[in-house]
Amino acid sequence: MDMLSLKNGEYGQIIAVNAKGEIRRRLLDMGVVKGAPFLMIRKAPLGDPIEIRIKRFNLSLRREEAAQILVEKRSEPETNES
Amino acid sequence: MKKDIVVALIGNPNSGKTSLFNELVGAHQKVGNWSGVTIEKFEGVVHYQDYVIHVIDLPGTYSLTAYSPEEVVARNYIIEEKPDVVIDVIDGGNIERNLYLTTQLMELGTNMIVALNMVDEVEKQKTTIDIKLLQKLLGSHIVPTSATKRRGLDTLLEHVVRVFRGQIVIDKNKLSYGEKIDGYLERLSDLMSGEPDLIAQYNPRWLAVKLLENDKLVYDLVRHYPVFIKVELALLQIIGDMNKRGADDIEGDLAEARDAFIRGAIRETVVFQKIKKITFSDRLDSILINRVLGLPIFLFIMWLTFQFTFTCAAPIMKWIHVLFNGLGILVSAIIVNDPLRSIIVDGVISGVGGVLVFLPQIVLLFMAISFLEGVGYMARAAFVVDKVMHLVGLHGKSFLPMMTGFGCSIPAIMATRTLKNKSDKLVTMMVIPFMSCSAKLPVHVLLIGVFFPKQIAGTVLFGVYLFGVLMAVITAKLLKTTVLKGASEPFVMELPPYRIPTLRSTFMQAKNKAGGYIRRAGTVILLASLIVWFASNYPQSSLTKNDKLLQLKNSYAGQIGQFIEPVIAPLGFDWRMGIALTTGLAAKEVVVSTLGTIYSLGESDDHSSDLANKLRSDPHFNIATGLSLLVFVLLYVPCLAAVAVFQRESKSWKWTTFYVAYTMTTAWVVSFIVYHLARMFLF
Repeated sequence: MDMLSLKNGEYGQIIAVNAKGEIRRRLLDMGVVKGAPFLMIRKAPLGDPIEIRIKRFNLSLRREEAAQILVEKRSEPETNES
Repeated sequence: MKKDIVVALIGNPNSGKTSLFNELVGAHQKVGNWSGVTIEKFEGVVHYQDYVIHVIDLPGTYSLTAYSPEEVVARNYIIEEKPDVVIDVIDGGNIERNLYLTTQLMELGTNMIVALNMVDEVEKQKTTIDIKLLQKLLGSHIVPTSATKRRGLDTLLEHVVRVFRGQIVIDKNKLSYGEKIDGYLERLSDLMSGEPDLIAQYNPRWLAVKLLENDKLVYDLVRHYPVFIKVELALLQIIGDMNKRGADDIEGDLAEARDAFIRGAIRETVVFQKIKKITFSDRLDSILINRVLGLPIFLFIMWLTFQFTFTCAAPIMKWIHVLFNGLGILVSAIIVNDPLRSIIVDGVISGVGGVLVFLPQIVLLFMAISFLEGVGYMARAAFVVDKVMHLVGLHGKSFLPMMTGFGCSIPAIMATRTLKNKSDKLVTMMVIPFMSCSAKLPVHVLLIGVFFPKQIAGTVLFGVYLFGVLMAVITAKLLKTTVLKGASEPFVMELPPYRIPTLRSTFMQAKNKAGGYIRRAGTVILLASLIVWFASNYPQSSLTKNDKLLQLKNSYAGQIGQFIEPVIAPLGFDWRMGIALTTGLAAKEVVVSTLGTIYSLGESDDHSSDLANKLRSDPHFNIATGLSLLVFVLLYVPCLAAVAVFQRESKSWKWTTFYVAYTMTTAWVVSFIVYHLARMFLF
């Protein structure tokens, strides 16, 4: 499933980042890499972009990019991670 | 003799790098530009022991790829200028993400010191970091600092000196990408090591990593060396080898390896206290950007920003006005020679006054913006409005320059520097004139006052602003779907934790911006007002000497006004409006004072209520003309200074010409429609 399938407050883990080119590079640079756990925080007031918590910081990205990130749902991660 | 040390500061945005820079060098800094790009370059000097330490603040960046100009500037500086020491500023509260840049710096092979910044926050969160071990893993000294609390600054400088002297050395550590990739890297760097010229300048392993990452700039760089033939062959083989193994995503693999290294390092050295699930920032965000309140709060904060700017600036502007009027009167009394007095009083003094009178607004606006940025709200604002901006093809960050446009087009155009994508930047610059600037306000107020009752004047004024925004939206959509097509910058943005910025930082930023305004706009505005002064006073003849209106009509400005009359007649304007619009090119508020002169009020701008009466009683000046003029002033090219700044920022005469032509045409067409609609329906 893609990142958008998660509801606010749900945890997930990145399986694959399918975006291309510069966007992919940006995502990788910001820590959106395979295996990284994250928390879905919220959608912006107008529904787009979305906000996640990953690597102990808050990151926002647009729906169209989030749709290209495959994730799997996870239960709460251990403390020393996300 | 003091010795020089050159130090470069690098770090993620929001890592407190700029605050650290400001605290290190204080007021001894100068702003310049990185050559070839419109990214500001901050340099400063600090004297420490027997050394003069030159500190260069590199642009904030998350990575060192070749995608964004900031990253290229930062890495080129480190590679090519070879600063003696590089300080990597990392946010101790966000160590994991910040170390990503550090891993890339490790590969550049420079003398690096890590400033573990915001260490006070780390302590507050009761996080413990084994600095000794982390030093070993990173192969770099670590100095805990807190810019806001002024902690560790001396230790940092001491480390700079000692690293420079070679007194303290830590063995560099190599980041491993796994056996397979390390093998590739070794093969490539071994090849390149056969090229002494290349190796003298660049770290071969770094080159190898970048080649695997398919980094265009590094590829072009290596291409100039004979060894490239061998390197290219090896690269082809490596890619073939990887494809065979089904590993076709080397970019991802490298990023994952860095990530794994960082996670490993963190696991070994950092113990996080069981953190509170909900931080202060989270709680604030759950109100400030929640689904219901997010937008209203955003609008309120923007409103507050302008309220603050204009309310606080108004009295200061008045003093400046009074001061320059007084100066004018004083000088008039001293100088007896008529033309000389006129050029000094009406030309120079009122010109300089015209520049300075906007300074309070600009300083205050930039202070407010710097403050909101420092607090961390600006990123939230982009988050909240991105959807709207995205609809017209822009990036959430475009809203800040557009908003600044309500104050003045010049800082607004300068603020487009935060936009990395060229098409985003140009579109934003093109729509800024439609955000009604503060110099247009007196014109709006005058014209609305003439034709509308006091009770609805405020609503009409709001309508005028809204109409400008609508034109901006249409323009953006139009440009993004035609001449400036192309993807906008990816919206992958950090929402930093809320912080209270230091006063010093806020002031320094506002001061730097204001300095930029004076340098860029000051000279042009001054020149423009001299030209307008000349054009409206010459040629002189004895016949017209005592009749101001006749004098103005015969002046060059008057001649231009009459010359363009046929063009503007369809909008309901005659030559008098022609003069006012022409002089308005110097600065929009001049439209009011020119109309004052035309309606023979002498030194006019203080008498706008009298002017309103005169206009009301002029039979040629009806509500259709008034609305048409209102719209024209709202839409036509902001002022010559803005055009000059546009040229400097776009670095293109073609776009500058288009900018002028587009705003002029839009103003004409829309005024034409408004004039004729008004005549049809309002009579």
